Order: sequence, then C-alpha cells, then structure tokens
Amino acid sequence: MKIQTLSSLNIIAALALAFVIGAVLMLASGYDPASSYYSMLVTPFSDRVYLLSALAFSAPIVLTGLTFALGLRTGLFNIGAEGQVYMGALGAVIAAYFARSLAALPLAFAIGLALAVLWSAVPAVLKMWRGVNEVVSTIMMNWVAYWTVIMAVSTAFANPLQPEESVKTPEAARLTPLIPGTDFTVAVPVAYIVASLMYIFLKYSVWGYRISVSGLNPTAARSYGIKPERAVLAVFALGALTAGLAGVLQVVARPPSYSLMRNLANVYGIGFDGITAAMLGRGHPLGVVLASIFLGVMQEGARHMQIEAGTPFEFVRVVQGLIILLLAVQILRRP
Amino acid sequence: MIDLILMQALLAAVPILLASLGEILMERSGVVNIGLEGLMLLGAFSGPLFVDYLHYRLGAQLPDPLWPLAAFLAAALVGMAVGLVHGYISTYLAGDQIISGVAINLFAAGAVAYGIQAYWGVAGYKQVPDWAKADPLALAAFALVLAGFMWYALFRSRLGIVIRACGEDPESAFNVGVDVNRVRLLATVIGSSLAALAGAYLSIAYLSVVTKEISAGRGFIALANVVFANWNPALAVAGAYIFGFFDALSYWLQTAGVARYEITRMIPYIATLLIVAGVIGRARPPRAVGKPFRRE
Repeated sequence: MKIQTLSSLNIIAALALAFVIGAVLMLASGYDPASSYYSMLVTPFSDRVYLLSALAFSAPIVLTGLTFALGLRTGLFNIGAEGQVYMGALGAVIAAYFARSLAALPLAFAIGLALAVLWSAVPAVLKMWRGVNEVVSTIMMNWVAYWTVIMAVSTAFANPLQPEESVKTPEAARLTPLIPGTDFTVAVPVAYIVASLMYIFLKYSVWGYRISVSGLNPTAARSYGIKPERAVLAVFALGALTAGLAGVLQVVARPPSYSLMRNLANVYGIGFDGITAAMLGRGHPLGVVLASIFLGVMQEGARHMQIEAGTPFEFVRVVQGLIILLLAVQILRRP
Repeated sequence: MIDLILMQALLAAVPILLASLGEILMERSGVVNIGLEGLMLLGAFSGPLFVDYLHYRLGAQLPDPLWPLAAFLAAALVGMAVGLVHGYISTYLAGDQIISGVAINLFAAGAVAYGIQAYWGVAGYKQVPDWAKADPLALAAFALVLAGFMWYALFRSRLGIVIRACGEDPESAFNVGVDVNRVRLLATVIGSSLAALAGAYLSIAYLSVVTKEISAGRGFIALANVVFANWNPALAVAGAYIFGFFDALSYWLQTAGVARYEITRMIPYIATLLIVAGVIGRARPPRAVGKPFRRE
C-alpha cells in the first residue's frame, strides 16, 4: 500500500510546514500566531481535565479514521463515514425514544450500527453492480443522511423540553464519565481497543489478508481464488460498523447532553476528521490512534485558542487541510 | 409555472456546468481533481471578499458594472492559484491526485468557515451587497458559449488533439514532442479557475450570500456529471441541465409546501445517485487519467 511508503520524517516535515503556512494565514487575517498556537498545542497539556477532554475528542476520530484507512487497504476512497456517524447517532436517539430504561443501551448499538451498515450498503452495491465511483456516491449519501437525520430530530425525536436537542438517552442507559468531572467515558478505551482489534484482524485473519491482497493487486487476488468484490463489501460494512459506533457513542457516552443536537453539532465533521487521521496515521490502525490523539489535542486546543487568542476555532481545519495537501506531495516519491 | 421551473433549472445548472467543463478539461489532459467542491467554496468566498476589501477597506470607487467583474476575476485568480498547486503536485511532483483533491476540499471547508469569521466577524453567513451582484443570465450565456467553444477546441482543433493525447496516451504525445506535464499543468490551472468561477456565480449572482456550506455538494454533482457526459462538453450541458432541474425542483417543491424542506433538499443528491447508477456502464474515462507521467 502506497500510503505506507511515507516515512515518519516526511510526516513531521508536512506538519511543520503546514503550521508555518498556517501562521502566515493567521498573520494575514490579523491574529497572533504565537499565542494561538500556544493555546492550541500547549494549553491542553496544562490541565488534567483538558487532556482527558482531548482524549474524548480523539475517540470518534479513531473510529472514522479506521473507516477511511480500511477503504485505503482496498484502494477505495470511502468518504461515507460522515453520514454513517449521523445514522449511528440517529439509531441511539431512536433507541432512547422507545426504551426508557437500561434496555436503551443495547438497543442504541443495535439500531445505530444497523442503520450505518445499511447506509454503506448503497455505495457498496452501486460500486459492485454498476461501477459507480465511491467518492461521488458516499458524498451523496452523506447529504441524504444529513437531511434525514435533521428531519428526524426536529420532528419525531425532538425533545419538547429542550428545542435544541433530540430526546435524551435515559439515565440508566448512559455511559457516564469514568473519571468524574471530565469528559472521559468508556468511549475512549473502546475506540482504542477497536483499533487494536482491527490491527490484529488485518494482520492475522484470513479476511484481513484477503482485503489487503485485493487492494494491492486485484488480478493476483483473483488468481488466488479471492473475490475482490467481496472484499469491497466487507470493507464498506466494517467501515460502517466503526463509523456507526462513533455516532452511537457520541450520543450515549458524551456528557452533558446525552442527545443529538438538532443542528448535528456534536456529530458534524467527525467523518472528515477521520480522513485526516487515516492519512496522518499512514492508514495503519495504530497510526490512526496516534494521529487521532494529535487531532483531539488540536480540537481541545481550538476551544482555548478561540477564548484566549480570539482566533476562530475553524482555523484547526485550515491546518488539517494543509497537512493533507503536503502529504499528497510526499506520497510522490514511490520507489 | 412550468416555464418558471425550466428557467430556474437553467440558473441552477450554471455552477454544475462551469465546474463540469473545468473537470472535463483537466481529466481530458490526464489530471483528476476531486477538489471541485473546495474550489467552488473558495471562489464563492474570495469574490465577495475581494470587492468588499476593495470598496470598504481601500475606498476604491468603480463604475457599478465593474464590481461583479472584479469579483469574478478575484475568484478566477484564486482558482488558478489552487489549480497551480494541484497541477504541480499532479505533474512534476507525481503526487497523489485524489489525496490532493481531498486536501483542497478539507482546506477550503476550513478556510472559508474561518475566513468568514475572521473577516466579517459573523458565524458562517454573509449577505452580498447589491452593488456587487451580477446578472445570473449573463453567466448562463457565458457558460453555454464556453461549452460550445470547449467542445470545438477539444474535438475539432489541433490543441484538442494534444490535450486529449496527454490524457489517453501520454507516451505517444511525448514522443511527438508534446510537453505532457506542461499541458496538464495549464489545463489544471484553467479548469480549476472555472470551478472557482462556478462558486463565485453562487455567491454573487445566484444566491447573493456567502455561507460556509454554499457549494452544498455541487462540486461532487459536477464530478458525477462529467461521468454522465462521458467527458464531452456538449453532453455536459444536457447533464448539467438535468441536475439543475432537480435542484430547482427541490426548491420549488419546498416553496410550494408539498413536503418538508428536509425531504425536498435530498432530491438533487438522490437524483445524482440514480442518474450515475443508470448511465455509468457506457462511460469511458480517458485512459491515463489520474496517472502521473514520467518519461522513461
């Protein structure tokens, strides 16, 4: 896989250059790069609560990063994690609506993951049967998911007491913080464990081997009796499971609201962060974890940056785009 | 009523057509750019930003019709700059074109959300002043003429043969003395500027506002349209009109109160999926598209 030909030195160079270009952009728009970067990259380490919050931010990114990284294994650019996260979160809300007890928790995972897999089945089937480019189809599915979920949380699953939110996960079914007073819930270890399992699966299982071979060389795969089409299906479904899990956890394991915002604010953009994490992590599941922690720190830092230096938190996405652009340059020097 | 929808469809088709024409030019030369969405966003933002800066910060006075022209020019230049980066990565650096395109989309989404906040101090929504607005029909005429010109240039001129050769068989093109990478770089610069123009059309002619999600998937619909049109500028007109029709239909159904607006908003995306699934079988991309050219 070509992503892995990137050396870690290249990644560090890309990060450094992206931050330098970012500083120039900040200066041009009238903000102070030094104090902005300080708030973004240093402040999260200054307090235990901040650091645990950064890890909480990293958890969903790990899961959507796995979606994209898995796609890369088979040469697919699966950009559908974003919509699958929405569907996973919607599943958790539906569960909360129908079950008012602990039963809402298993139900949330069941409905959320099922909806996410269903969502990924459309581009998977279109790819297999009609050869439809997955970049276009997954983006279209993201938009359909966006409007579907917006409609669901503003109508059937709206919270009559809080107009900004959907119905809340019943208290018995909530995954509350493991460390009181922080955002650190079981979602964080779960995400890291899923990434480790993914690593073992890809490296040691027959299906993992089939997926890798199909991506590296579909022709060779066929001659070994492996059907690359099945690998495509498996990759879409597995990717949807992790993205859907991210969506469910953003509702059942995210204090303080334990609900889905009506403007989708607590799930929006997670799928796109996953693309950055997968690129930075060189498509390797454990690399994705490291990259996600880095992005989590940046996201936690962005809040402090907006308060302390007045720089809009969207700046973080500017830097992320620059990092990927510079990585695209470096993927060049393939032997 | 029906003539109103057909007119609306034309206006909704313009950005898809402009971006599709840009992508056809790039892909015919051998460079794929999935950053159309980001280019549209940057164009939609940079046009109004430039005239606002010129007028309010520098106190420039221009005759009224020149303001929108200045905005289009600024957007085109920004598109060219991004196209230069993408083109350079795709040619001389032999970088990954898909990843570069993804990066353009991510960067633009961040930069426009940040830029609107940083420059206007509002959260992602800015009205375009009346004096900077352009007539959408003028742009529709421009896009149609451009489509005709591009069809002629690609299929009936020597330049077109050179461009298509770079995308089909760069080895042979190189052997008859064509500088493949230079042709590809130029095509990418011009094609990208068209996608940025499509964005400027959205903000200063069609919707009269800048938002951080103004392109709303149109860049990807344009990518689908390129496949639908089989990389032919003339067919791209028809395709863009069909996609524009569903876009217009969604707004019309919304105004008519037929269904909740969330449902009508899904129509263009579902239509795109169905159309692409329906026609993809006969589509044939340029053979060398997406592959960097290296002389042996």
